[in-house]
Amino acid sequence: MRSIRALTISAALAAAGLAGVATAADGATKTGPKAAETVHAVLTSPPQVPPPTGRNKPAKVVVELEVIEKELPIAEGSTYTFWTFGGTVPGSFIRVRQGDTVEFHLNNHPTSKMPHNIDLHGVTGPGGGAASSFTAPGHSSQFTFKALNHGLYVYHCATAPVGMHVANGMYGLILVEPPEGLPPVDREYYVMQGDFYTVGKFREKGLQAFDMQKAIDENPTYVLFNGSETALTGDRALTGKVGERVRLYVGNGGPNLVSSFHVIGEIFDKVWYEGGTHFQENVQTTLVPAGGAMIAEFKLDVPGSYVLVDHSIFRAFNKGALGVLKVDGPPNLAIYSGKEVDSVYLGDKAETLVAVDTAAKSAAAGTLSQDEQIAAGKALYAGTCSVCHQDSGAGLPGVFPPLAKSDFLAKQKSEDLIRIVLRGLTGPVEVNGQRYDSVMPPMSQLTDDEIANILTFVRNNWGNQGERVRKDEVKAVRAATPHAEGAAH
Amino acid sequence: MNGLLALVLTAALAAPGAAEPGWAKLPGNPAFRSVLAYEDTRDGVRVRPFELMRTPVSNGDFLAFVKAHPQWQRGRVAAVFAESRYLQHWAGALDPGAASAQQPVVQVSWFAAQAYCEAQGARLPSWIEWEYAAAADETREDARQDPAWRERILRWYANPSSRPLADVGSQPADVHGIHDLHGLIWEWVDDAGSLLMSADNRDQGGADKLQFCGAGALSAADRENYAVLMRTAMLSALQAQDVTANLGFRCARDLAGATP
Amino acid sequence: MTFFRNTLSALLGGLLLATAAAAGGLPGDSVYQLTAGFTDQDGHDFHLADRVGKPQVVSLFYTSCRYVCPLIIDSAKAVERSLEPAQRDRVAFLIVSMDPARDDPAALRGIVDKRSLDTRRWTLARTDKAAVRQLAALLDVRYRELADGEFNHTSALVLLDAQGRRLARTERLGGAADAEFVDAVKAALNAAGD
Repeated sequence: MRSIRALTISAALAAAGLAGVATAADGATKTGPKAAETVHAVLTSPPQVPPPTGRNKPAKVVVELEVIEKELPIAEGSTYTFWTFGGTVPGSFIRVRQGDTVEFHLNNHPTSKMPHNIDLHGVTGPGGGAASSFTAPGHSSQFTFKALNHGLYVYHCATAPVGMHVANGMYGLILVEPPEGLPPVDREYYVMQGDFYTVGKFREKGLQAFDMQKAIDENPTYVLFNGSETALTGDRALTGKVGERVRLYVGNGGPNLVSSFHVIGEIFDKVWYEGGTHFQENVQTTLVPAGGAMIAEFKLDVPGSYVLVDHSIFRAFNKGALGVLKVDGPPNLAIYSGKEVDSVYLGDKAETLVAVDTAAKSAAAGTLSQDEQIAAGKALYAGTCSVCHQDSGAGLPGVFPPLAKSDFLAKQKSEDLIRIVLRGLTGPVEVNGQRYDSVMPPMSQLTDDEIANILTFVRNNWGNQGERVRKDEVKAVRAATPHAEGAAH
Repeated sequence: MNGLLALVLTAALAAPGAAEPGWAKLPGNPAFRSVLAYEDTRDGVRVRPFELMRTPVSNGDFLAFVKAHPQWQRGRVAAVFAESRYLQHWAGALDPGAASAQQPVVQVSWFAAQAYCEAQGARLPSWIEWEYAAAADETREDARQDPAWRERILRWYANPSSRPLADVGSQPADVHGIHDLHGLIWEWVDDAGSLLMSADNRDQGGADKLQFCGAGALSAADRENYAVLMRTAMLSALQAQDVTANLGFRCARDLAGATP
Repeated sequence: MTFFRNTLSALLGGLLLATAAAAGGLPGDSVYQLTAGFTDQDGHDFHLADRVGKPQVVSLFYTSCRYVCPLIIDSAKAVERSLEPAQRDRVAFLIVSMDPARDDPAALRGIVDKRSLDTRRWTLARTDKAAVRQLAALLDVRYRELADGEFNHTSALVLLDAQGRRLARTERLGGAADAEFVDAVKAALNAAGD
């Protein structure tokens, strides 16, 4: 009511040509502290995060946030009438710096059915701005606050019925950077969990209506990241590259559930729990309260798909709380090599493992033939080497060099090959005219027998020609080789 | 103008109780329990018998009104009575364009709605009259405790307002013979300006005593009744010259012969 | 017959309101577009448009109000006191009752006397119930009549320019005058006077 009034008065003032006369009803918000510079905040839609403010002193920051009610997909083939800040769920990400004076404009789109307002948890003042931002459809409200505390804060609509406005997606995050800024990282993403209550069942097709009773019972139909089951999957997955540092700004809009936020296959190096000043290190799963947030940082070491979940795990697999972080880059088998374990573990390899067994017995008896070595080597290769060099020996162009018809391989003496397996190979090599610059981790966990058999297989397959490699040769090279740790099992 | 006057006069001259097609008679309630809890309404509020239009005022109805009362035409209306978006969805001052004659009129201010009703020898309903009427469903005078009643109302909020409004009267009539109190549009009430709802709706009763002289802001008596609470939030967000794309009205009048 | 008379008067009222909206000469955003009839503490009838020419400080109150309403008059008086004597003569104060059922001219006169209001500048007035709603809407004052005859209401002083357009408002009641509101009054006087 008050804010609308202020608007009307300013309109009246403008008409009367007396715009210089200060008349805003709310004395506290009329004039913020004078700031040297006025900037317009860059707002981003999830999962993107605005660039760092890059400022070393406070400024006056103008934020224009539009409330719009719109039908958006909640799952494949299902839509929902979301009420949004900025046209997305969660709402636009706002980034300011501690000490900034924020002039906030809340614009409620003329097509809206509802009045809305905003409560920013980063605001010190009655209702977090809610009392000054109650805005009818087709109107704008303005209020000003000083960002006193740094941290990551939730904002949300606080118009009656508050629960319904929140359940319809009216929340987002505002980051108040500390004066020194945040340490640079390679990628920043914005993820926010919310629970949704529809009359129709999970994944029921068509436009879904809000179910108040389910909301009161805290029995969501959907638990989602970024407002849709497909917001962070497929083409819309978050991406990264091996070696990069990633920072996630994670909020939880609720309205009801607390999130046990976890990324499958990652350990958070640091978590600024509850979005506050302090961080915890080496965290597997962190709690994000409804109406709360946290910042997580981690380094991407191993390529693959990492799944973001609420580890209250039925929510992930039965209500949609899944997202994907897709990491590209060369594998780091020293840290992780999944398929090796698979090949040993799976019963369907039994037949080929017989060959390994046979070779081992023959070797012990001193009767090992080249064919037995090749058969055993083939089985071992499939378990250990084919992850990168592929079953066909063709490798992956530009990433993993081929072993098939390899001119590089043909040039190597047996002891060189043994050394490569035991110590790994890092740095540029040229194979069949193409340059490769990647990392092969040491494979010293293989026994002398196994290495001899693998190399014999490789040298006598895919058009390669070479001598068989003997266990004694491996033993000799190993003895002359400084200890290197084998690939992890 | 003549036709309109004739209609009004006919209405005025009709014998008390005589049924008129556009109006429904409501019996009232000696102690109606409002969703809004004011400190003086804990034992219920008396709703006297009154009449209410069976359907919201349509574009066709409103066109006839602005033809008869040019000062309420878009472009002529005083800014103090209607903001710039007044009837903006019409193609012209006397041309509803794509807005069909049978759709409810929207984008009308409280002043305009009041003037329309006055021209019919009627008035806007009070909030309590509106709320009392809207408590009904097809079979009951007060269906508010039925979750199905609530669900149906809440479903309206799920319809994006980009979809065209249905024609007036296309939903089934309630037990009083009234249509569309829910599920179509917001409606102005005469005392919209009495809804002293705090701008921060979580302040339940903790309102600034000076601002709200004495008794404080209203609070929700039946907090589960979100559906109706939304209306009060909406109306309290508006000023009397405001219009929105989903806000129309219907008129009420005292029973003929009753003392006001 | 009562019913018939009521209906007719309602009809006439409607036509009046209709004519009112067309009030010529006034800006479209002037509060004085409201043409309802008012009566002052001395029983004189007037229309808002009669007040064109001087900036006005306008508010709503009711005479039986014990708590906030006296503060409304106090606040308006504080504004008056903070003006130079020459300025005081060029501004008017209009306080309208939201309780037409009880506040007749005599009741209004009682307050004028009790509070020693100078009627060269001050007008206490009443109008009918519908016009109070409309005026309150134009000033964005919200009120609700309680079962016991008291009112819940928001309280504000609203500054209108010489043409009746809203310039400023204050909800700061009691104590010293709201300095910014006083500045707005002075600015309005300068704009109107020179």
